[in-house]
Amino acid sequence: MRRYLLRRAGQSVVTLVLSTMVVFAGVRALPGDPARALAGEQNDPAQIAAIRAKYGLDDPIWVQYWHYLQNSLHGDFGTSVRTGIPVSDMLKSALPVTAELSVLAMGLAAVVGILAGIVAATRRGTVAEWLANGFALLGLSVPNFWLGLMAILWLAVSLELLPASGYVPFREDPGQNLQHMILPAVVLGTQLAAVIMRQTRSSMLDALETDYIRTARAKGLQERTVIWVHGLRNSLIVVITIVGLQLGALISGAVVTERIFALPGFGKLTVDAVFQRDYPVIQAVVLVTATAYIVINLLVDLLYSLIDPRIRVAGEAA
Amino acid sequence: MSNTRAALSAASLLLVTALAACSSVGSSSPSADRSEDVGSAAGDVKDGGTLTMALSAEPDFLDPTLAGSFYSRYVFNAMCEKLYDLNSDVRIVPQLAASMPTASDQGKTVTIKLRTGVKFADGTTMDASAVKTSLERDLNDPQSARVTELGPITSIDAPDASTVVIHLKTPFAPLTAALADRAGMVMSPTQLKKLGNKFGNDPVCVGPFKFSDRVPQNSITLVKDPNYYDADKVHLDKIVYRIITDSAIRAANLKSGDVQVADTVGTDDVSSIKSDSNLSMLESSSLGYQGITFNIGNTNGVGKPPVQVDAPYAKDPRIRQAFEYAVDREALVKTVFDGQFDTACGPVSPETEYTSPAVQKCRSYDPDKSKQLLQQAGVPVPYKLNMLVTNTPQTLQLAQALQAMVKDGGFELKLQPLEFTTLLEQQDEGKFQVLQLGWSGRVDPDANITNFIGTQGSLNVAGYSNPKVDNLLAQARETQDVAARAKLYGEVQTQTQKDNPLIYLYRQRNLTGISKDVSGVQVYADGIIRVAFAGYTK
Repeated sequence: MRRYLLRRAGQSVVTLVLSTMVVFAGVRALPGDPARALAGEQNDPAQIAAIRAKYGLDDPIWVQYWHYLQNSLHGDFGTSVRTGIPVSDMLKSALPVTAELSVLAMGLAAVVGILAGIVAATRRGTVAEWLANGFALLGLSVPNFWLGLMAILWLAVSLELLPASGYVPFREDPGQNLQHMILPAVVLGTQLAAVIMRQTRSSMLDALETDYIRTARAKGLQERTVIWVHGLRNSLIVVITIVGLQLGALISGAVVTERIFALPGFGKLTVDAVFQRDYPVIQAVVLVTATAYIVINLLVDLLYSLIDPRIRVAGEAA
Repeated sequence: MSNTRAALSAASLLLVTALAACSSVGSSSPSADRSEDVGSAAGDVKDGGTLTMALSAEPDFLDPTLAGSFYSRYVFNAMCEKLYDLNSDVRIVPQLAASMPTASDQGKTVTIKLRTGVKFADGTTMDASAVKTSLERDLNDPQSARVTELGPITSIDAPDASTVVIHLKTPFAPLTAALADRAGMVMSPTQLKKLGNKFGNDPVCVGPFKFSDRVPQNSITLVKDPNYYDADKVHLDKIVYRIITDSAIRAANLKSGDVQVADTVGTDDVSSIKSDSNLSMLESSSLGYQGITFNIGNTNGVGKPPVQVDAPYAKDPRIRQAFEYAVDREALVKTVFDGQFDTACGPVSPETEYTSPAVQKCRSYDPDKSKQLLQQAGVPVPYKLNMLVTNTPQTLQLAQALQAMVKDGGFELKLQPLEFTTLLEQQDEGKFQVLQLGWSGRVDPDANITNFIGTQGSLNVAGYSNPKVDNLLAQARETQDVAARAKLYGEVQTQTQKDNPLIYLYRQRNLTGISKDVSGVQVYADGIIRVAFAGYTK
C-alpha cells in the first residue's frame, strides 16, 4: 500500500509542475497586455511602462516563471494586477465559496442521482422509471445559465422564497448562508445528478444480472439487502469514477453558476482574471485547481482500493 | 421634482436648438419620447438602514491616484470627496474647495481656496498641505493614472492652511474639470504614509461614508463617517456595493428587493422595471460616446508618429465620408437599443455648456450619396472593410446591424469579434482597418477630444494628424472663456468631419433602476450614481 501511495504521490507532483509550466506559458501566449488592461481608458505610455516594471512583466519569461515558482512555494502568489489585493487573500475568500458550492452540489447530486438510479434500475417499466429517465434527460439537456435564470425568476422574484443572488459566509450566519447557497447548488448539481443517475442505473442493471446477486437471492436474503448491500456496493465503483471525472464539469459549471448567482467563488475569480489578464490571479487559480484535481484523483484511486481490494493488490504488484 | 422639470425643459430647449441647427446636414438629438430624470435630493426619509447597490463590474484600485475603471468612481463618490463636483446641470461647483478657482498670470497660476474645519475619516485635518500631498502623488507616482489629466503643472504651493496655488507651464483650462474627478480627491497624508501604494486596500479620504471592507469580486462596504463635515445630511448607516455583472440578474435582484439600486440597466429590462410598481428608473444623457475609428496613420503603434496607412479608405476621406452617409443612426439606436440611447455625431455632449450647432452638426443617412462618393473615389463597389468589435452580445448586435446597413451604401463590412483586452492590443498596435469602441466621457470636452484626435494623443488610435486641428485644440486648452472654447471645438468638429477619422454613432444613456423605498438617489450626466445622501422613505 505504501509503495502504491508513494508512486501515485510522485506522479501527482510531476503532473503539478508540468501543469504550472503549461499555464504559465499559455497565459503569456494569450493576446492582450495586462498592463494595458489595467491602465484603463487613459492609455498613458509612462503609466503602462511603470505597471510592467512593477509586476516584472518585462522580464524574460523564464525569469518570471522562476520568481513565480519560488514565491508560490512560499505561499506568496503576489498581488492582483487589477485591484492590488494580495492574491492569497482573494483565494482565501473565494475557495470556501466554491468548496461549499461544490460539496453541496455534489452531495445533492449524489443523493438524488443514486436514489433515482436505483429506482430506475429496480422498477423497470413503471412510471417511476419514466420519471427518473425524464429527469436525467432534462438534467443533461438544460444549460446551467438558463436553469439558473429560471430559478431566480421563479423562486426569488415571483415567489420570493429565496434570495436572488449574493453570498453570506457560513461563519457569519449559517441560516442565511444556506438560503443563498441552495439555489446555486441545485442548479450546479442538476447535471451531475443526471449523470450519476444514468450511471447508477446502468451499473445496477449489470450488477443485478450477476451470479452473486442470484446467489444472494437464492440464499433467501431480503430484496432490500440484495439491492442496497450487494448490488449498490458493486455498482458504486463506476459511480465514484464518474463523480471524480465530473469534477471538471463541476468546476466549469461553477464558473457559470457563480456568475449567475453573483457568488464570489473560484469560477468567477478565474473568468474575471482571464478577461483582465490578471496573470498572478490566473496562475494562482490554476495552481490551486490543478492541485485540487490531482488530490481528488488520488483520493478517488484510494477510494477504489478501499472499496475493491483487487485494485490495491494490482497496484502493489506493479 | 423641480430638477426633473428643469432637466426636461433643458432637454426640450436643446432639442429645439438642435433642430434649428439642421441645414443640409442633420443634427444629433435625443429622442423626444424619452424622459430625462436625474433624481432629486432625499425627501422625507428616516435615518438608518443599509442600501445595497448592484454594480455591473468590479471596481479596480480604490486608490484615486491609481484607479482606472469607471466603477471605482461610484464607490469614491460616497467616500472620497473632490475639490470640485458636478451639479445636476452638468456645471462644475465647489465641493472641498470653498469657491471656484481663480486664475492669474495669464492662466498660468491657479489659486484654490479650501473649506475649513474638514476632517478625514481617520480624524486628521484636511488642509492645503494634504491637497498638495495628494496632487503631488497624482503627478509623481510612476503608476499614476492622473498625470495626463492634470496637464502641465510645474509646482504646487500651500501658502496657508486653506489656500492651494497651482503653477502651470502653460494655461490649462481643463484643470478644474480634472479636479472635479479622481485627480481632485484628497487622500489622508497619514494613511498615505502608513500604506504607501497599498492605500487602495484601506483608503481614507473625506466623505459621507468611509471604507469598511472589501470582499474581492463580491462586495465593497462603506459605513457612515461621523467625522464628515455635513454628517447631518447623511441618513444611511451603510452602503454595500455588490458586483453583479449580468444585467438580467441585476434586474432580477432589483425586483426581488435584494438590491435597492442597480446601475446600467439593460435596454431590454427598461420596460419591465418601469412597469413594476415598486421600482422606478432614473434616466439621464451621458457625456460619453460610441463610435467607429478608421486606422489612417496608426502604422507603428499608438504613441508613435503617425505614418499614412497605404489603403484607399485611409488615403481618401471621401470613402470615410461615404461610410458615414451609409449609417442610419436613428435606425441603429431604435433597433439595437430599443430607442433608449441618443444618436451622436460628435464628441461634445449636448448636455454641456460647450455645445453649439457646429459641434452637433451631422451627416444624415443617404446611401445613394455614399455610393456616389465611392464612385468618385474610384474604388471597387462593394468596397471591403474589416471591422474589429468586442465579442459582447450587444456590441455584436450593433455591428451586425451596421454591417447590414452600410451594405446599401456600397460597403462590404467584415466583422472580427474579439475579446476586449485582445481588441485593445490590436488597436494600440495599429492592426486594424476599422474598429468600434467608445469612451465613457468627461465634462470638459478636451478630455473627450484631444487625446483621441490630437497628433500626440495617447488614445489617437486612428493615427490622425492635422496641424490645423492640433492648433485649434491647443488654443481651446489655453482659453478660459467657455463661449470661446465652444466656438473652437465647433471649428475642430467642422474640420474633423471633413477628414472623418472617427464616426460618432450614439451616446449611451445612464439607465439606473431604483426601489421606490429609497429616496435621494441621483445620476447626473457623468453617469456616477450618487447614493451617499439617500435614505429609506418613512
